[in-house]
Amino acid sequence: MTDFISKVIELFSTGKYMSSMWQGLLVTLEISVAASVIGLLLGTLAALAMISKKGGWMKIPKAVAKIYITVIRGTPMALQLFIMMFVIFAIRGFPEILTAILAFGINSGAYVAENIRAGILSVDIGQTEAGRALGLNSSTTMIRIVIPQAVKNVIPALGNELIALIKETSIVSMIGMYDLTMAAKVVGSGNNMASYVVPMSVAALFYLAMVYLLTFGIKKLEKRLRSGDRS
Amino acid sequence: MIEVKNIYKNFGSNSVLRGVSCEIRDGECVSIIGPSGSGKSTLLRCMNLLEEPTWGEVWMGGKLLTPVDPYLHPDVIRASRTFRALSGSMEEADAIRKIKAEDLLREKRAAEGKDYLAVMKRIYEENHQDIDVSRQKMGMVFQHFNIFPHLSVTENITLAPVLLGKMTKEEASERADELLARVGLSDKKDTKPNMLSGGQKQRLAIVRALAMEPEVMLFDEPTSALDPEMVGEVLEVIRDLVKGGMTSVIVTHEMGFAREVSDRVLFVDGGVIAEEGAPSELFDHPQNPRAAEFLSKVLR
Ligand SMILES: Nc1ncnc2c1ncn2[C@@H]1O[C@H](COP(=O)(O)OP(=O)(O)O)[C@@H](O)[C@H]1O
Ligand SMILES: [Mg+2]
Repeated sequence: MTDFISKVIELFSTGKYMSSMWQGLLVTLEISVAASVIGLLLGTLAALAMISKKGGWMKIPKAVAKIYITVIRGTPMALQLFIMMFVIFAIRGFPEILTAILAFGINSGAYVAENIRAGILSVDIGQTEAGRALGLNSSTTMIRIVIPQAVKNVIPALGNELIALIKETSIVSMIGMYDLTMAAKVVGSGNNMASYVVPMSVAALFYLAMVYLLTFGIKKLEKRLRSGDRS
Repeated sequence: MIEVKNIYKNFGSNSVLRGVSCEIRDGECVSIIGPSGSGKSTLLRCMNLLEEPTWGEVWMGGKLLTPVDPYLHPDVIRASRTFRALSGSMEEADAIRKIKAEDLLREKRAAEGKDYLAVMKRIYEENHQDIDVSRQKMGMVFQHFNIFPHLSVTENITLAPVLLGKMTKEEASERADELLARVGLSDKKDTKPNMLSGGQKQRLAIVRALAMEPEVMLFDEPTSALDPEMVGEVLEVIRDLVKGGMTSVIVTHEMGFAREVSDRVLFVDGGVIAEEGAPSELFDHPQNPRAAEFLSKVLR
């Protein structure tokens, strides 16, 4: 045990190891943040297409959204990443971090879409009817009446999706990208550490810290939205 | 004010309205009564197109809100290929009558020819008004209030008039103050609606609709979701409105109230208006046996 602790201290105090870990953490954060932005945008668009009444030209985006969500949710993330990396963006010089961001963003969007759709549908239909009966058109009713109420219902689910996304980015290490998980592996196999336990534990700590911070932030946000309701 | 012309409404294979026609005249108060599930709400909701009738037309203030129903326009029927084929062998009037009675116009509109489509289009363009515009003139009050919970009491009232450019923010909030005072909610103007009782919510819902300065008010069982002690305060607000000359259509189970305020009562049963008349006639001397049975149950 003392040996373990002294090794941990050694890792934190050795510049070469720490800079490897930070570098990995940075890649994990980059992919997570950029992919969640893309996921949120894609997910919102897909959700709006899904809830549109069928008929007219909206039939096409609705069908596209349906296929998108079905395919993404029905296939493994690792496979999606491989396809993006080795088939779609197998272009020499195309930065692999961009490919990873796109792969995770597109994947996340499908889950976000389902969350947002459920959040919008959870708002009582009477709210929409009241807005329309006053003479507001459907998009104004959606923006001013339905979405503000849906946001509250969606925040916890979106938080969970973000947490899952951060952890899932670790599979980029399978294709040799230098993220936090890969950094732990590299540091562990280095001649001095001669052990995976210590760097892996430290990487786990980093993931835990990120997830904890996110959970904390979301709880705060939820509380604020809910207290606004009562005041 | 509102004209409902031979409307049918199907939900899947369930035909809920089966040929309803009625007219609501300016300044009139009409109550709609009838057994639960008979189609009262559906009829009311067809008036502002919250439900789109499967067939038939709805008019408001001389404007057509629905698509054109060819069977309601002899000009359209006369332009159809079906009519031309028939009119060779019979009188025009007979052909039109036969086409209507036997529902002979083809489902696929183009199959009736260019002239037919052109006449339909002309009637539509001459009479149609956008539903969002029409709805601004029709206030609606729901059984379950449907107050906006994320907005303050005042914002519930000012939202639509401001967004629709009817008033500035200042004008709207002044108007909201007046309206809230009228229904005794002045002290609630800055609170969130979930602090209100059911009766207060419904009074708010009524003034929210009034803020748009509608020409007609539609009420769908406005007191059915209220605790008994709150029914009176809501009925009082509606009574004042009707006395003030507001054109109103009220779906209600409050028979005493319907009798007191209405100029006319429609008894709806099985998706048709089974009887209509002045409240004194309909309540005291119902002609329709189903109406008599219904009234004997609810007036007991
Ligand atoms: N949106 C809907 N979808 C399917 N069926 C409906 C819908 N709205 C009403 N109905 C059906 O139409 C019938 C009449 O309903 P409604 O007009 O609400 O009756 P009432 O108001 O007289 O009680 C009922 O059988 C009801 O189940
Ligand atoms: Mg009803």
